[in-house]
Amino acid sequence: MIKIPPYLKKGDTIGITCPAGYMAAGKVQSCIEVLQQWGYKIEVGHTVGSGSATYFSGNDEERLAEFQQMLDDKNIKAILCARGGYGCGRIIEDIDFKKFKKNPKWIIGFSDITILHSHIYSNYRIATLHAPMAAAFNDGEYKNEYVQSLRKALTGKSAKYTCKANALNIRGAASAQLVGGNLSLLAHATGTSSDIETKGKILFIEETGEYLYSADRMLYQLKRSGKLNKLAGLIVGGFSDMKDTTRPFGKTIYEIIFDIVKGYGYPVCMGFPVGHDKENYALKVGAGYHLNITQKKVVLREMP
Amino acid sequence: MNRKHFLSSLLTTGVSFKILAAPPHNPDISFRIPQQLKPGDVMGITSPAGYITIEELQPAIEQIQSWGLKVRLGTTIGKRDFSFGGTDQERAQDFQRMLDDPSIKAIMCARGGYGSIRIIDQLNFSKFLARPKWIIGFSDITVMHCHINSNYKVATIHSKMCNSFPGDWLNAEPVQKETIVSIKDAITGVKMKYTALPHLKNRNGIAEGTLTGGNLKTIETLAGSRSEIKTAGKILFVEDTGEYLYSIDRMFWSLKRTGKLSELKGLIIGGFKIKPDDPGEAFGRTLYDIVWRKVKSYKYPVCFDFPVGHQRNNYALKCGVLHRLSVTANGVELLEV
Repeated sequence: MIKIPPYLKKGDTIGITCPAGYMAAGKVQSCIEVLQQWGYKIEVGHTVGSGSATYFSGNDEERLAEFQQMLDDKNIKAILCARGGYGCGRIIEDIDFKKFKKNPKWIIGFSDITILHSHIYSNYRIATLHAPMAAAFNDGEYKNEYVQSLRKALTGKSAKYTCKANALNIRGAASAQLVGGNLSLLAHATGTSSDIETKGKILFIEETGEYLYSADRMLYQLKRSGKLNKLAGLIVGGFSDMKDTTRPFGKTIYEIIFDIVKGYGYPVCMGFPVGHDKENYALKVGAGYHLNITQKKVVLREMP
Repeated sequence: MNRKHFLSSLLTTGVSFKILAAPPHNPDISFRIPQQLKPGDVMGITSPAGYITIEELQPAIEQIQSWGLKVRLGTTIGKRDFSFGGTDQERAQDFQRMLDDPSIKAIMCARGGYGSIRIIDQLNFSKFLARPKWIIGFSDITVMHCHINSNYKVATIHSKMCNSFPGDWLNAEPVQKETIVSIKDAITGVKMKYTALPHLKNRNGIAEGTLTGGNLKTIETLAGSRSEIKTAGKILFVEDTGEYLYSIDRMFWSLKRTGKLSELKGLIIGGFKIKPDDPGEAFGRTLYDIVWRKVKSYKYPVCFDFPVGHQRNNYALKCGVLHRLSVTANGVELLEV
């Protein structure tokens, strides 16, 4: 059984923190204003627009303390991670989820935040939100359907997402819990206490800026650690800005994935709008979805 | 001139030299040591990962022949499937033939690159187990070392490969010659000895344990698979190249969080060629900070800048063989027991 945190009501408070990389205050401003327009109170943590001179938004102790405080504060009904980058893996084992387990709240973000999604799902069976973060609100983009899908998800509206078919899709339908996130982080967490469980699940993966050979190696890690053979379905999201070596790999990323999973028999779709590009729908990790892949299109529908 | 004194006067770090030729006996009885090679024996060369041309192999072939060995080239040499030395099937078949052929006494991987993980599950080691032979290479070949050490408890050799043999042997730098000669020493039963300079960040101590390790990224990639490295009670060495500091940090977290650092006898940090941080993304922590944070709660010896890695001073190391690591204020010594 999965626990769904309470959906948000007008006047509820959303905490914003940076558990990983540094983010300038100016880049979070639109996000704060839009969330306020949506009717929420906002509590901005010190790690947001901090004075940090390094890669991180603060040292491990500062990032941990702030995340812990927001996790434990009963008045905060959701925590939006302002950005990813790198850093959640450095504090995850020190986070105390005791109060969160009693009073679950939405944890929102993607990319490096994948560690939080996988850790919380695998250990506590509480749903989290894989969704756009602060930068996605900038330059008027908060109006796009992807940021708006986060708004709907927070209020408890059931989602139904559709996208075009891809020539490498494998047709079929599946109803199962959804898990997933950034491929690098899913591979990296293998064998740790934040390892993802995929058996009988619909798995979604996305990636950015990796070499094709490196993505291939990570997919082999998922395969060899038994994460690909018993899926209910596979959703391949955006793989943006992928790089190739001087000696070309010779396949596109979708061909690489297709070759690895084609023998398993479950439905697979390529190019679903989830990832580091603008096209990034809010997905509830741990919630039940129905995936239907036909010749013409792909539909992912949240189940009641 | 006495060779030992000649060498130690020439080099202050990473010296490996002949002490005595020993039969293949391992004090760590849980591991088996392949037969040492004799003059006239055949060394097989294959490409389980990236592609290589026959021309690129010439220096290695000539050098290996000068050791009194015969060379047999696999069918993957000169073959190319984009970045690979042939398709997965071709590379697996070539490697399998060399594993199974009793006339081939050792297998040197021509180069690394990427690809071993794509064929490892297709390989059958039953004939190899009946008659173990040295498997030689590093970087992507770490897959072979971990897989063979963990599943079959047969020792392997982590060393330079064919693409690192100097083209002009006479004019090669002493360290280039020494590292290549260390491969010959390793396959002919010489007990190995290595030294490294003292380092301010080292943690002193003396430990004995079976050596295991390789390329850090590759070790991370094997987590959760049946090729996963086993480190408990062992001396672990790691090296890597071309990775960002943040990525190196994440890989050391993987080692720690998968329980690979808590029961070590010792930790050897080899060469790390670090990719510079992107502008505005300064990681703000050095390699030493990264490692120290993961191992500070343990007591075993730790040394930095050991001569292993994607660099000229990359000596042959025997994975699966018992070694004594001594880290003191005077320097580092690693000695095959």
